[in-house]
Amino acid sequence: MEAIAVEHSTAHSHDAHDHGHGHHHAQSFIRKYIFSNDHKVIAKQFMVTTIFFLFVGGLAALLVRWKIAYPDQAVPILGSLLPNTWVSDGVIEPGFYSQLLTMHGAVMLFLVIIPMVNGMIGNFAIPLMIGTDDMALPTLNMFSFWLNIPAAMLLMGGFVIESGMAQAGWTAYPPLSAIQGLGQTMWIAGLFLVGFASIMGAINYVTTILNKRAKGMTLFRMPMTIWALFVTAVLITLGTPVLAAALAMLFFDNFFHSSFFIPYGMLASSALDGSRNWTGGGQPLLFQHLFWFYSHPAVYIMILPSMGVVSDVIATFSRKPIYGYKAMIFALMAIGFLGFIVWGHHMFQSGMSPLLGTTFVLSTIVIAVPSAIKVFNWLGTLWGGSIRYTSAMLCALAFVSMFIIGGLSGIFMASAAVDIFIHDTYFIVAHFHYVLFGASLFGVFASIYYWFPKMFGKMMSETWGRRHFFWSFVFFNLTFFPMHIIGLGGHMRRIADPTVYDFLKPFQPMNEFITWAAIALGFSQFFLVFNIFWSLKYGKPAPRNPWNANSLEWAAPEHPGHGNFDTDITVYRGPYEFSQEYREQDYWEQWVPPTEEEKKAEAAYFEAHKGELH
Amino acid sequence: MDFMKYFDFLVWFPENVSTFGAELDHLFEVIWWIDVAIFFLTYGLLAYFLIKYRQKPGVRARGYHGNNLLEFTWTLLPTILFGGLGVYCDGAWETTKNSNRIPKPDVEIEVLGKQFNWVFRYPGADGVLGKRNDKIRTTDNLFGIDPSDPHGKDDIIIENDLHLPINKNVLVRLSSVDVLHSFFLPNFRVKQDALPGSWMKVWFNGIKAGKYEIACAELCGASHYNMRGTITMHSLDEYNTWYDTQIKGKAEQMAQAPAPEAKPAEAEAQAGEHHGDAKH
Ligand code: HEM
Ligand SMILES: [Cu+2]
Ligand SMILES: [Cu+2]
Repeated sequence: MEAIAVEHSTAHSHDAHDHGHGHHHAQSFIRKYIFSNDHKVIAKQFMVTTIFFLFVGGLAALLVRWKIAYPDQAVPILGSLLPNTWVSDGVIEPGFYSQLLTMHGAVMLFLVIIPMVNGMIGNFAIPLMIGTDDMALPTLNMFSFWLNIPAAMLLMGGFVIESGMAQAGWTAYPPLSAIQGLGQTMWIAGLFLVGFASIMGAINYVTTILNKRAKGMTLFRMPMTIWALFVTAVLITLGTPVLAAALAMLFFDNFFHSSFFIPYGMLASSALDGSRNWTGGGQPLLFQHLFWFYSHPAVYIMILPSMGVVSDVIATFSRKPIYGYKAMIFALMAIGFLGFIVWGHHMFQSGMSPLLGTTFVLSTIVIAVPSAIKVFNWLGTLWGGSIRYTSAMLCALAFVSMFIIGGLSGIFMASAAVDIFIHDTYFIVAHFHYVLFGASLFGVFASIYYWFPKMFGKMMSETWGRRHFFWSFVFFNLTFFPMHIIGLGGHMRRIADPTVYDFLKPFQPMNEFITWAAIALGFSQFFLVFNIFWSLKYGKPAPRNPWNANSLEWAAPEHPGHGNFDTDITVYRGPYEFSQEYREQDYWEQWVPPTEEEKKAEAAYFEAHKGELH
Repeated sequence: MDFMKYFDFLVWFPENVSTFGAELDHLFEVIWWIDVAIFFLTYGLLAYFLIKYRQKPGVRARGYHGNNLLEFTWTLLPTILFGGLGVYCDGAWETTKNSNRIPKPDVEIEVLGKQFNWVFRYPGADGVLGKRNDKIRTTDNLFGIDPSDPHGKDDIIIENDLHLPINKNVLVRLSSVDVLHSFFLPNFRVKQDALPGSWMKVWFNGIKAGKYEIACAELCGASHYNMRGTITMHSLDEYNTWYDTQIKGKAEQMAQAPAPEAKPAEAEAQAGEHHGDAKH
């Protein structure tokens, strides 16, 4: 297999530089830039759509925040543009508020984070880092991107109909989601398609990683990014079908009025048309079990690839091997496996048997261990390093520090007894934004700063990168840290107007503060967009290996074309041979064969340090 | 050092007025201090490494690959710590939620979530709740009280205004007539989802008289935010007085008009929403 892969990539090597000329393949513009099979083009397409949706989801979030902070005041500027069924005199109606928060959650999770860490990072990194010309199944890969477009249209389709968008939250618990109208129906169908796209991508990643590695690239020579993407892809293929099953049943309940999740005696007084009737006899909790059986692994689907990138970025910019490479891989696998047996921690207060609750407390506590191991190993990597504070490194460090806070809040919620009070409060909202924005999204930022040179052949502006990092980091914490506090005050999630409650009145100033911090956080993201455009136009041309890193993507030409590599790739060592004492140069590329002297120096060194744990 | 109290996040909690609430808050506190310790340990190391090992001319990184003994240690320690914590917290979980361990109830009531109100049922003059059946529920008979059961005739049904005595074990049977809701009593540290089709047991014991708020903690529709009720805790005497008034009221009401025939569910489809939308 490997031999074939290598031959294949050599066959393509001569046109690796043909980007923009097309003399060889004579591809049409459409085949090359739109319906392209090239994994790098698909990665860029994912990059464009996910950043676009990041702003869409962000806008929804800011409207949500405005409503919470100023429930009776008109939204500035936008208030007058929205139709009167959704706002009255510019003030957001509670129903529209629910639509916005549903869209925010669903867009951010399913159209931003998941496609960013898998579609964008996975597509770009996998073939380059394992040293091959493209994915194993390039056409399927193309579909996995394009399916996202109709899926996104369905997901948000309610925007163009009068009854509006889905409004049952991203978790879409029935019976509420089953008794809502067309916007919800389309949302369910859209999510089903997103899942389909996700599975297509994942199958492709697993196949590519298993079959198309360059000669000498053994499994334990793969960079952490590839390991993480591999485990993630396995989680997607095992978990997403369960979500699909739940969504299919929900679709039936919603559209054909079956009763998978509808119990006897339900008075659906708010069903949009009173004529809809359900027989009953179903069990609403079943949906939650199926949903979380997917969605807990899904939170790891959203973060593991980022963890991989962060490991590589930290190693490169500390000039150190990743600490405990194998421990990191086993921790990844442990998280992947345990991720499937902790779903009940989302359901402690749902009416599930409390005995089952105890079981899920224990499994959840166990999964915190590999998370802790990862943190310790990142710290170990920094220890004794020679740290370069590039934008990519800063974002990776933000990942580590924010992930610690997210993990610490997780411990409260993992204890079912403590979770009674904080469940469904802003404490939970704080927790998952620390892990998803603070960690995962900052990991994505790190990946953009790190790979932009290979992606576009230009260096990115470090000045603007640092500005983006700094303001995002500051406003992120100002936005989300206070949410822990209002959560402990008992502030429920998903309420349009907290001023209804006396016990929440003292927290209203904090709510206003959070909203302004969130607005500033939103605007900070324009630094990133500006930087991307500025660097595309004015960025310095990127050298082949700008960060003096070891992994194979840096063996490819400055701006690799279809086919990736211009040389025959053989791998001689692992990806983390930084700062080895027996070598002059503080890195050792995976693809460079050792000279006779180097072999001798290495052997002599290991002879001298026999028995040491190295 | 007064400002130190803000360092303990427990200060942000609403006042606790239930027996087991203190136990739950204590667990929060234990985890809080463990977290503070882990925070300073990890952030301390992080800050130290970031400053000490920043790039310096002429200083090379050391190419360690790791150390198995360290890996082993930092696997074992969190396992013991977190595992111990899980076991330690289990007692309080069993006390609050395990339905086999609920203490003998002094007061038994039923609570229904309904878009967007809380509906309460007291046993009435005879002290016995009438039999109910979800399958015969209508908008006029939310609890599905069996019309053939005489115990059900005098049951008192109240919306959003719950009254209970202090220092008594209260057993609530909780369900919902439509979508999911979550019965949230912030001051009592009680939270339990209300599931249509299932009746869940919830218990608590209030230790301080006063008026507190009831909230819904599970998204249940547009007016979810407005699904607010109140719970007033009385001394036993006060409570009995209040309860007697309710019984009298019910008796008068029954004397005036016999209970209306149950109407089909759809007829009043929109009726339930008025309260919730009142604000906007
Ligand atoms: C130390 C590791 C972690 C532990 C112990 C933990 C524990 C928990 C628990 C118990 C809940 C449910 C709380 C409740 O609803 O009452 C929860 C919610 C959540 N967690 Fe974590 N978590 C951890 C890490 C993560 C990571 C790494 C992610 C994502 C990247 C994540 C994302 C989420 C999300 C999105 C929710 C809320 C879902 C919702 O209700 O909308 N968590 N976590
Ligand atoms: Cu989870
Ligand atoms: Cu509600």
